[in-house]
Formats: sequence, structure tokens, C-alpha cells
Amino acid sequence: MIRLEELTKRFQQVIAVNDVSLKVAAGEIYGFLGPNGAGKTTTIKMLAGIMRPTSGRILIDGLDLEKHPIEVKQRVGFIPDRPFLYEKLTGLEFMSFMANLYGLNGKGRDKRIQQFLELFELAEWGRELVGSYSHGMKQRLIMSAALLHEPRVFVVDEPLVGLDPKGARLIKRIFSKLKDSSLTVFMSTHTLEIAEELCDRIGIIHKGKLIAEGSYAELQQMAGQEDPRLESIFLHLTGAEAFSTEEIGFIREQN
Amino acid sequence: MKVLTLLAPRLWALRNGFVFGGRRSLTKTGSLFIMAVGFWVVIYAIFYRVLSYFQAVEDFGDLLAYKLLSMVFLTFFGLLIFSNVLVALNTFFLSQDLGTIHATPVSIGELFTARFLETLLESSWMVLLFGVPVLTAYGLVYEASALYYLGLVSVMIPYLILAAAVGIMLTMLFVQIFPAQRTRDILLLLSILVTILLFFLFRFTRPERLVDPNAFSNVITYFRALSTPASPYLPSSWACEAVWPLLKSSTTSSSFYQGFLWMTAMASVVVSAFVAFLIYPEGWSKSQETRRLVVGRFISEGQRPRKGHRSQILALMGKDLKFFFRDNTQWSQLLLIFALIVLYLYNYSVLPLEMARMPTFYLQNLIAFLNVGLAGFVLASIGVRFVFTAISGEGFSFWIMQSAPLTIRRLLWSKFFFYLVPLLVLGLILTIASNELLHVDPLMRWLAPLTIFAMVFGVTALGIGMGAAFPNFKAENLTQVATGFGGLLYMILAMGFIALVIVLEAGPIYTLFMAQVHHHALSHLQWLYIGGSFLLAVLVNAAAIWLPMRYGIRKLAAYEQ
Repeated sequence: MIRLEELTKRFQQVIAVNDVSLKVAAGEIYGFLGPNGAGKTTTIKMLAGIMRPTSGRILIDGLDLEKHPIEVKQRVGFIPDRPFLYEKLTGLEFMSFMANLYGLNGKGRDKRIQQFLELFELAEWGRELVGSYSHGMKQRLIMSAALLHEPRVFVVDEPLVGLDPKGARLIKRIFSKLKDSSLTVFMSTHTLEIAEELCDRIGIIHKGKLIAEGSYAELQQMAGQEDPRLESIFLHLTGAEAFSTEEIGFIREQN
Repeated sequence: MKVLTLLAPRLWALRNGFVFGGRRSLTKTGSLFIMAVGFWVVIYAIFYRVLSYFQAVEDFGDLLAYKLLSMVFLTFFGLLIFSNVLVALNTFFLSQDLGTIHATPVSIGELFTARFLETLLESSWMVLLFGVPVLTAYGLVYEASALYYLGLVSVMIPYLILAAAVGIMLTMLFVQIFPAQRTRDILLLLSILVTILLFFLFRFTRPERLVDPNAFSNVITYFRALSTPASPYLPSSWACEAVWPLLKSSTTSSSFYQGFLWMTAMASVVVSAFVAFLIYPEGWSKSQETRRLVVGRFISEGQRPRKGHRSQILALMGKDLKFFFRDNTQWSQLLLIFALIVLYLYNYSVLPLEMARMPTFYLQNLIAFLNVGLAGFVLASIGVRFVFTAISGEGFSFWIMQSAPLTIRRLLWSKFFFYLVPLLVLGLILTIASNELLHVDPLMRWLAPLTIFAMVFGVTALGIGMGAAFPNFKAENLTQVATGFGGLLYMILAMGFIALVIVLEAGPIYTLFMAQVHHHALSHLQWLYIGGSFLLAVLVNAAAIWLPMRYGIRKLAAYEQ
């Protein structure tokens, strides 16, 4: 469903994404992990059609994003890491606007909007301006808008940022549901727990390069770590082992 | 020490703008500097000319210069108070870094001092920019000594401090009554209404009658009114009384008023600090409370489902319309535009054409033709504020457009048509109504609205295209976008375009008009010239639509956040 071929993004002297190639099958949840500044958000932005790659190709549902941007975007639901929305629209208006933008029409449209607002517990806020929403509410509103047009591919940058435990649980349940309905999910996250729990396969990007890829079990094998937790595997593969107690001892020394 | 630390981020940001800004930033700064110098020179030249003229007027000359100085100081004080209130709202209540700063062990006193200095600098530089050429012109016309310039520094410092202290105190009191966000909106609306009122008051007094010798008896009465002193309680009067003797190389009364200004300024700082200690923490806490705003059903009704491309374009236009009327900084400017139309048309209704030496019918049509250019200029000025900023207005939410199945071409054309209609209505009102008031010839009656009709397409396309080529999605407000480098470039291009169309039409219109007046037929060559010129004007209009739109689409499609 998703295919990245030798994807590279260069910002003047800096190579943010370096020759990344990967495939995500239909109905698969793919976790994209990496330390800060590794190139996750740049890759996600290219995948969402917000940024153009310097070289390489992105194919979604067999269509080249560069050649068929509109058709590809019609198939994608995108959630950025920061929920910037139209603050002067109400939640309901925003959903309606997004429905029209994605050409969603027909009888069931309004009902579907209402269902999503209810699912994400936003129905009673539907007639209030988005500007008065909390961070978590905005995040939930974006998520409902991104699912509205029944995308085949869901591209998510940090799905749990700013969500309370209830919101986070809801998102996890929705992801599981999406998996059942054979929707392909490509998500970047720092929450290793969600990657461990939900992802069929995980890719680890470091300094712009895809350094490891596979199922949780395959990554465990690759890392050869005694500790089977994803956190330990991740730290080992990215060469960022946790600091020892001696190394962080200086924090309290001044006092 | 902490005060310096608190001020450092602003200074570093300024420095980093130069260091990391690269060539584009240098070009921008250079252009702004050249503009500022140009502006400075124009202000200086006007005041130098006016003051030299006053000096030549016996008896009244000095009185006029003194009155003008007092008006200058009074205007500065009003502007300073207003600008200090707006800046203080930001620095003390709305600035994004305040949340972090309030969580650190910084005392109210330290924060107040740092923010006071920041407010003072941010709100005073504009008045200084206006003031320096004006006061230099005074110094040079009156051949003042170095003492005058030293005295000016000694007067301006406490004057600016005093205005800042008063502005900050007013802000703190306002925030006690209204939430910070509402205060800004209310002040904005009030400022617009006061500006309109002042405009009307000034215009409807018809100051042009002062130069009419038939109304000379009124002028004498006017001068009598001038010789009455200004209010002794106003700091602007003290500043004027401190500066005026220095122009005449006398220091006695100046020192008294300078001392008075310094003492009042220092006292106002102490009082404003005291007010801050008393009410600022509570005001800050209040400004954090979010306002719940429920939008009624009549406007929150979702857009109806529509098919295909129309659905997207209508969705975009509907969103822009809601944005416009829900943003107080946007819709309130309609009031200004309305006032502008009234004044514009009023000016034509009181035009003393009968007093001119040229034949009235000739003058009527000449003015009607020049009116096309003037209306074009008005449209371009409105265009830079609304049309040019249309793309940047998407702000941080622009990712929605980028990730949606929507071409940049469609986005830009939807914005184009959204702004085209109101600009067309405005342009046609300005030309048709002023033509009616001027009683112009049938030829001009048709030609002027037709030219404006065509021009509005170009002015709108230039705004959308240039706005897309120079977007600023990170600007805190759209005025910042309009006054930026792209806005300046848009104005230059729009003015060039309007001038070119006017020049291309001037010759043929003159030929047609003269043939009509002298009742003679046009030769084939003249028809060819007229046809060619109009064709060129049409081509220029077409280029003004096509080229900027194409450029904007190309640049915005390549834009990466």
C-alpha cells in the first residue's frame, strides 16, 4: 500500500532523510521510530504531500505522489504532530469544511460527522469555536476529520501527544479497529508502549537513515539484547544507551 | 541583573535575525531602511517648507509655528499613549513567553522593569522616526543653537517615559475590567471609530476655505482662536513650552518645564510600578481565562454537500467569509472603508470647479479620468491589507490545504474570486458615483467604470499572486504581513500597473475627447492609434492577471513549512 523508494530530503547542507526505502502492506500498522531530529517528521511530511523529496519516489496504492498528488491525497488521512486548526470555525464547521474539501457528499455525510464528533467526545463542543478547545480536543478533532473521508492510508505524526489517559486509550482502540478494517497506518511515535502494543512492523530511523526494520520479534533478535523491552532495543540500535546513575549524579551536586 | 536577562531574548532575536537571516533578510532591512530615509526626507521637506513659509508671514508666522509645534506634541502624546496601551497588552498579558517567565523565580518588580523598558522602546521608535525630521526642520528654520538639540533629548526622554507609564497603567486597569483579548478588540474598534470621527470632523469643516480670500474675515477669527493657550495640564504643553524658548536661544522658562517633565516622568514610573504590584498578578491570572464562545445555529450550520470542484471552492469561500466576520481586526476595517468612500465622494461634491481658469467641462472630464487612477490607488491600498494577506491568513493551518486533495491553483483562484467581487463593487461605486457628481461627458461615464472594472482583476490577481509568492504563515497579525517586503513589492507593482494603464489610455481618450469637442471626424491613423492603445491596455490587464497568478501558484506549490 505504501512504498518509499530511495527517498532523500536535503536542506542545503543537511540531509534530513537519506535514501530511505520501505514497504507497508495493506492493513498493516507500521511504527516509525527514531530519536529527535532523526528525520521522522520530514518523512511523514513527504508522505502527506506537504514536502517534496529531493529525490526518490513515494507510491501510495500504486500511485506516484509526485505525478498524482490529488488522487493520492484523496486516499490519505493525515494528522500532524501539532494541531494547528482554523480557530475561528466551530468544530462542526471544521468537519463540514473538511468533508467538502475531500469531496465527501451524499446523504450520510452529516450523520457521519455527528458520529465522529460523538466518538471523539466532541459532540457537545460542536458549536463552539475551535480556538476555545484544549490541545487534546484539537488533536481529537483532527483525528475525526482525517478519518471522515474513509482514507485507505492513515499517516500520523505522534498520535498521543497532548492526550489524557482516556483520550490515549480511545486512540489505541480506534487504531485496533482500523487494523481490523484493513486500513494501512503509518505512524511516528515516541511512545514506545503504543508501538510495541499496536504495530505489526517497526522501522527505526537514525540520522536520516533507516537503520532497522521488522516485527517486534525480529528487532529483538537483531538487537540481541537481554532486556526484551522495545525501549532497550531502541536505545541500543540508535546508540543512545541510558545514562548511568554516576553520569547523572551531578544534577544534585550543586545543592 | 534578571532585568537584563529578561530583555536578552528580544535583543538576541534581533541579532539572530541579521546573523541567520542571510541575504534576503539584508535586502529586506536595506529596503526598509531606504523607505525610512525616504519617508524621513519627505517629512523634513514638508515641515521645512511650511515653517519657512510661516516665517515669511508677518505677525502671525511665529504664532502659527508655535501652534503647529504644540499640535505636533499633542498628536505624539495621543499616539504614544495608544501605542503604549497596545504594546503593553502584548508585553504584560498576551506574549507567549509570559507563561514560562511567570513559572520562574522572577519578581513582579523585575518583570515590570523589563517589560516597561520593552514597551517603552517598542512603542516609542515610531514617534521618534516621525519626530526627528519635524524637530530638525524647526531647528534649522529657526537657526537654533546646539542647546536646542541637547534640550530636545532632555525633553523627549521624560516625555516618552511619561507616556509609557500612563499607557501601562491604563492597560492594567483595562484588563481588570475586560479580559486581555477583549481589551485589544475593544481598543481596536474604538481607535477606528475615533479615527473616522476625526476624519469627518476635519473634512466637514472644509479647511480649504482658509485659502479662499472671500472668507478672509473667518481666517482672522481663526487666528484669534489660535492665540488662546493650550491646556496647562497636558504634558504636551509642557514639552512645547520647554522646546519653544530653546528655538529662540532662551533657557530660563525651558529649564522649568524640563524639570517639570522629568519629575512627572519619574513620579509616573513609581506610581505605575505601585499599580503593577497591586493589580498586575490578578490581571495576568484573569488574562489566562479562556472565553467560551458558542456560535449560534444560524452561522454554524454546516456547509451543504455539493459535488466536485464546486464543493471545494464553495467550502474555501465559506470558510474565508466566516473568518472575515469573526475576526474583529478584519471586519472592523469595513468601517474605515465606508468612511473612506463617504469622504472620497464628499470631496468630489464640494470641488470648486467653477473657480478654476480652465473650462469646466474640460476640467470635469480631466478629473474624472485622473479619478480612475486615484480609485485604482485606493483599491491597491485596500488590496495590500486584504487581498495580499489572503494566503498568509491561512497561518499555521496551511498544512490542511497542503495535505488536502486540492491544487494550489484552485486554492488561489478561489481566493481570487472571493476578493474580486467586493473590490469590483467598491471600484465601481467610487468611479460611477464620482462621475455622477462631476457631471462628466458620456464617453467618460462609460470609459472610467470599464477601465476600473478591468483594473480590479489585475489588482486582485497581483494581490493573490504576490501574497502566494511571499507568504508569511508565522506572522502574529496580518498587518505585519501587509507591511512586509512582499507587501511593499505588491504596492510598487500595483501602482506601476495602474500608471501604465492610465498612460496607455490617456492619449486615445484625449484624441476622442477633442474630436468630440471640436466636432470633427477622426482619421484612420487616429482610429488605429486609439485601437492599438486600448488593445495594449487590455494586454497589460491580461498580463497583470496571468503573470502574478502563475508566479504565485508556482512559488506556493514549492513552499515547504
